[in-house]
Amino acid sequence: MSAAHDTVASLANYVFPNDLHVHWSLMIVLYPYITGIVAGAFIVSSLYHVFGVKQLKPIARFSLLFALAFLACATFPLLNHLGHPERNMNMMLTPSPTSAMAGFGYIYSLYGMLLILEILFIYRPTMVALKAKSSGFMRGLYTILTFGSDNVGPKSLALDHKIISFLAAIGIPMACVLHGYVGFIFGGIKANPLWSTPLMPVIFLLSACVSGISGIILAYIIIKTFKKEPIDFECVQTCLNYLAGFFIIDFVFEMLEIFSHGYLRTEHWHMVDGLLWGNLYNTFWVGQVYMFSVIPMFLLGWVCLTRVHDQVLKVVASVISVLLLLQVIFMRWNVVIGGQLMSKSGRGYTDFIPQWFEKEGILVALIIMICPLIILYILSKIFPFWLEGEKTA
Amino acid sequence: MHTPHNAHVKRLLAALIILFVIGFFAKQAFQPKSFGKYGHYRADAIMEEANRPMRLMTNPSCVKCHPYEAGHQMTGLHKTISCEFCHGAYADHIKDGKKIGTLPVKRNAEITTLCLRCHNRAIEARPKQVIKTVVMPDHLRAQKVDEKHSCNQCHYVHAPLKYINHSKKIMGLI
Repeated sequence: MSAAHDTVASLANYVFPNDLHVHWSLMIVLYPYITGIVAGAFIVSSLYHVFGVKQLKPIARFSLLFALAFLACATFPLLNHLGHPERNMNMMLTPSPTSAMAGFGYIYSLYGMLLILEILFIYRPTMVALKAKSSGFMRGLYTILTFGSDNVGPKSLALDHKIISFLAAIGIPMACVLHGYVGFIFGGIKANPLWSTPLMPVIFLLSACVSGISGIILAYIIIKTFKKEPIDFECVQTCLNYLAGFFIIDFVFEMLEIFSHGYLRTEHWHMVDGLLWGNLYNTFWVGQVYMFSVIPMFLLGWVCLTRVHDQVLKVVASVISVLLLLQVIFMRWNVVIGGQLMSKSGRGYTDFIPQWFEKEGILVALIIMICPLIILYILSKIFPFWLEGEKTA
Repeated sequence: MHTPHNAHVKRLLAALIILFVIGFFAKQAFQPKSFGKYGHYRADAIMEEANRPMRLMTNPSCVKCHPYEAGHQMTGLHKTISCEFCHGAYADHIKDGKKIGTLPVKRNAEITTLCLRCHNRAIEARPKQVIKTVVMPDHLRAQKVDEKHSCNQCHYVHAPLKYINHSKKIMGLI
């Protein structure tokens, strides 16, 4: 009741009754955030497997598992938001070829299969070695995961290598489709002036790369620090260079989109203008732009253009990663929630304040974001992130 | 044990083929029978929706047993409002021509909450020229009455201005 009262009190000007309530809440903020991390993490792995960036070898395998852990949870927010999770397979049983939203079922399933296959092929020699050392349940599991083949001869590995290169190569366009598609869903809603732009899939894709690479850097540094293992700073530095590249283009596109609307005074610019300088002022200008874009931009410039001490790099890389992870989630918030705060009347705004304890509240969002980390931990017990030889390298 | 160098790939392909075959047959088995008969939806859903028991029966159903209230309502400013909007669904009250329950009657503060669903000026989207809106308790202060008053102490809910206008007439104000 109090939330409803606050909402009514915070209405501005003329709001249609059906625009009063924000239907796509925190869960729809999380969904593109999680799929973005998946796509970004996969691209890090592809930089090594397809484009041969050797410096990324220490995290090439880890980033695939990181992507899989988040991919496994990508549907959680949607299932919670829609309710009736038991109906999720209907998308496959009665496929609709003309529905962009239904397309998610196929893109997600195909991408999931591709990711699992790539991991199985990359880990096959490791799993064959681990199978020899293990017994009981784990031995049975490794037998299934290696498809009962112990052959790791040169001919067999050469075949694996070909398949891995093929999977990684088709994985890049698929990762781009997975996340570009999420942007397309928003970009395709022509009734909403904040969403309806062909740039939306591009911006989503670039911010996906930013969040994925940031997530990988942060997880790599945290895990290595806690395990007291040496960090490969050349790898971290290379990641930061790629991160800087992706982030510059991402941020420029985000700003260009707003500025071109503003400069052209497009039809609904007065609404977007009022939104960005009104309800979204704190989350857009203060959060997304000033705190989490401008500050990391300077930090990235510092660590990428100058040579800094390894320990300083470790701290600064972690700070940049946290800031950019926040930048991307603020961007998702501003797009998803922001777009719904404008009434179709073109004259009024509503407000949205997330609650802690509700079906799609902050607590549930936190639990969903912890799930991939738990899955990642379980995956680490089956697929070791780093090889024995690499620890001392 | 020596396995051929491509044994795992062959087994994997076999597993994928089996998966697709299972998927294909699962689609055949679990797809609703009437799906696609008219279009991209389950044809049976039309009759299922049409056969849902009705819950709202509109004003003529109420008038039959409540002519006194209906007489006021149909001549007052609330004549376009459905009885069920304030009182609740007919289906909770009558079933097969017999009374099965009493619809809740709003009293005191509940009445005010009910009235403000439409008459609250905070809801800016209301067309003011059609529905009179007020700000509480400013309206009570302006009318110089106790701030604890509920709406129905002055307004007869079925015809909001009927007795107010009547008393104004007696006093020669209109």
